[in-house]
Amino acid sequence: MNSFSFSLRAIVPYLGELQTAVLVTLAMSLATIGLSLAIGLVFAVLRQSRSAPLRWFATAYVEFFRNTPLLVILYFAYFMMPVIGLRMSPFQSGLVGMTLHFGAYMTEILRAGLIAVPHGQYEAGHSQGMTNFQILRHIVLPQVIRTIYAPLGNQLITIILGSSLTSAIAVNDIAAWMQTTGSDTFRYFETFLIAAIVYAVLCQVINLTRIYIGRALFPDNR
Amino acid sequence: MTQAPVLKIDTLTKKFGSRTIIDGISMDVTPGEIVCLVGPSGTGKSTLLRCVNGLEDIQGGRIVFEDEPVRAHSKKIIDVRKRVGMIFQQFNLYPHLTARQNIVLAQVVVHGVDRRSATERADELLARVRLAHRADAYPARLSGGEQQRVAIARALATNPHMLMFDEPTSALDPETVGEVLAVMREIAEERRTMLVVTHEMRFAAEVGTRMVFMDQGKIVEEGVPRELLAQPRTERAQRFLQSIRH
Repeated sequence: MNSFSFSLRAIVPYLGELQTAVLVTLAMSLATIGLSLAIGLVFAVLRQSRSAPLRWFATAYVEFFRNTPLLVILYFAYFMMPVIGLRMSPFQSGLVGMTLHFGAYMTEILRAGLIAVPHGQYEAGHSQGMTNFQILRHIVLPQVIRTIYAPLGNQLITIILGSSLTSAIAVNDIAAWMQTTGSDTFRYFETFLIAAIVYAVLCQVINLTRIYIGRALFPDNR
Repeated sequence: MTQAPVLKIDTLTKKFGSRTIIDGISMDVTPGEIVCLVGPSGTGKSTLLRCVNGLEDIQGGRIVFEDEPVRAHSKKIIDVRKRVGMIFQQFNLYPHLTARQNIVLAQVVVHGVDRRSATERADELLARVRLAHRADAYPARLSGGEQQRVAIARALATNPHMLMFDEPTSALDPETVGEVLAVMREIAEERRTMLVVTHEMRFAAEVGTRMVFMDQGKIVEEGVPRELLAQPRTERAQRFLQSIRH
């Protein structure tokens, strides 16, 4: 005998909290994307550096954070930072952990983009009297962005979905909403389903935004 | 009447590891001269050009461009590069920029020209290399000959005191070689100082004011192009010229 019947009625009172949770997930994901890109750019450039210690430092960073579970890093950020005297909100520790973890992946994506720029591009820039920074800014980065734009789509989705782990350190995101609403209402199936759909929609919206921005940025679509 | 040289190269030595690529070359280039560097491949002609604007560091000797010593990793190298235009065998246009933007970039970023004047200059140069109709095209949409003409316009945009061509037609289809050489002839007629590495002997004979024949990192022979081509004095030059006639 099967007594299960699908019903969303019990969930309705929790939809207001879901809205807040979506905003938290969105804020966490977008902030991580921005910060990990910045960190990734710095470390990608360091990995190409002429100085061996800088290269080692960057490689050590990438290899450490790429090979440790996000959950462990999040626990570190949440439980260990106060021990060394850094008081942070769950959101802040979550952002630190997410940025360190995904920064390592971004480093590798950006590095691949940097390697793809032919040496002749640097030489053309140098021959015109540009500084290293001008070459990076005006010649190399625009080409890197173009190269990594498609693989970046995957990474954005991984970041949004990965942010669900921050619910383990008391960030009130969609995953946290799912757990509390499920256990409050005993309507687990329905809450899980809603959470899954909301994540899927969120990922699609971000990815479509990326695609449309891409069309505006690269109209020639070479 | 002798003018002070723009470029002085004095017993230049360039090595890659233990291999000597340029072996004690000395030569001067005076304003308005069009010097064609010829010789077998692997003799250091391209490397010589690359040393002159500091793309390669040097192991011995001295290069001085308009009283500025050329050293690859010094801060001052930028002052030299601003005054020297370089055209590469593989064009090296910036693929993310249109033909016009390729010509605008260094004017704005390196020389501080305002964007509007830089764009006017770009359009004027595109017209001169007969590519006005391709101003908004990206390099990937241009033929090799068109790309190289844009590259020449890009080098001219900042009014360099000397132009260096590194085998500008070697990567081109035979049909498009002519259009690039035609543009180079026109530039030569303005009595610009040019240093050209080339295998186009007819071009060298008709346009060059001096031909320098290099082999194994040394200058073997130099002279007026027509004379050198007609009657090479050294056995090495004779052999080389014979081999490229077929």
